[in-house]
Amino acid sequence: MALTAFSSPVAALSPLSMSSLRAALPAAPSARIHFCRFSTPSQYPASRSIRSGRNTQKTLRSFSGLAPVYPIYSNFSENVTYENGFSAIDNGSRFFAMRHGKRVPKLNRPPDQRRALIRGLTTQLLKHGRIKTTRARASAIRKYVDKMITLAKDGSLHKRRQALGFIYEKQIVHALFAEVQDRYGERNGGYTRIIRTLPRRGDNAPMAYIELV
Amino acid sequence: MASTFVESLVVGRVIGEVVDLFVPTVTMSVNYGAKHINNGCHVKPSMAVNPPALCISGNISDLYTLIMTDPDAPSPSEPRMREWIHWLVVNIPGGTDPFKGEEIVPYMPPQPPLGIHRYVFVLFQQEKRIEGMSPLASRANFNTRLFASQLELGLPVAAVYFNCQREPNNRRR
Repeated sequence: MALTAFSSPVAALSPLSMSSLRAALPAAPSARIHFCRFSTPSQYPASRSIRSGRNTQKTLRSFSGLAPVYPIYSNFSENVTYENGFSAIDNGSRFFAMRHGKRVPKLNRPPDQRRALIRGLTTQLLKHGRIKTTRARASAIRKYVDKMITLAKDGSLHKRRQALGFIYEKQIVHALFAEVQDRYGERNGGYTRIIRTLPRRGDNAPMAYIELV
Repeated sequence: MASTFVESLVVGRVIGEVVDLFVPTVTMSVNYGAKHINNGCHVKPSMAVNPPALCISGNISDLYTLIMTDPDAPSPSEPRMREWIHWLVVNIPGGTDPFKGEEIVPYMPPQPPLGIHRYVFVLFQQEKRIEGMSPLASRANFNTRLFASQLELGLPVAAVYFNCQREPNNRRR
């Protein structure tokens, strides 16, 4: 490691400019890390100024106390660390076995079925105007019904196609886009209302009416 | 007690879409057969074929008007024909039932084609006897507020509503 640190400036001694020295360096970030380690001992006064200049540049850019010893990344973004050895996770690479703080309603279904259930319920709500389901499902589809009405309020072709990709029946999408302006033009959000009712007889599930406001 | 009653009317948007905010002064109990109607309860169309048994409290000298409307006609997502009137009875003596009054619009049982509809019973107190009312041209696009202002009925004295849904042809579980 000592030889690689000092060989490149020695090899390019004739034009002692920053660009040529930097060009002589290997492009991988491993070189930067190595230069970090050798910033303090400056045993070669001939190239001290150059190396210190380069090292200050390098230390400003790549010094981080938590960087791994063996950098195995080259093209990843800066906010991915490998403390736990997992691939990129969007919560800042923090992986928990519990559900603390996650507010996605699972509805006792795997993700594909859950998505299909939500799509079906929002389609039916937009078609019938008022449906009666369980309270958990009613509060789960609020967000998606509001999203669909917001897409319809925008009204452009792209938003129409996005709505067609979510709602199962295309007549409902076209009818929604046609009538949403005069119905919800002034209202800013909150296009649904949930009214709780008596539990279902078969399994005592808490029921609710969800309706378009 | 009365405030929670009015609250359920507000939550069901009966107050707001059909009538204005009022204070109930007369108790009205509606029964379809054995089933007592509370605000927001669910009734099947097969149970509502005949007119309900209505009991109104109040003095025998007072006259009341009863309106039964559907504000969600033909569908709650598109109420183009709001409201659809199902029953209109005037000159009901207090303390009795609507069969003692004059039926302007005969009773039509609920038949929601699409979605879950609310059916509202509104009771007004009359100051004087209403005579010579012509039958309505059509049941659609009835306006309860306009009707009340035309006959100078003021705010209602009682209201109740229930939900009704079309029964599928085959038996559900």
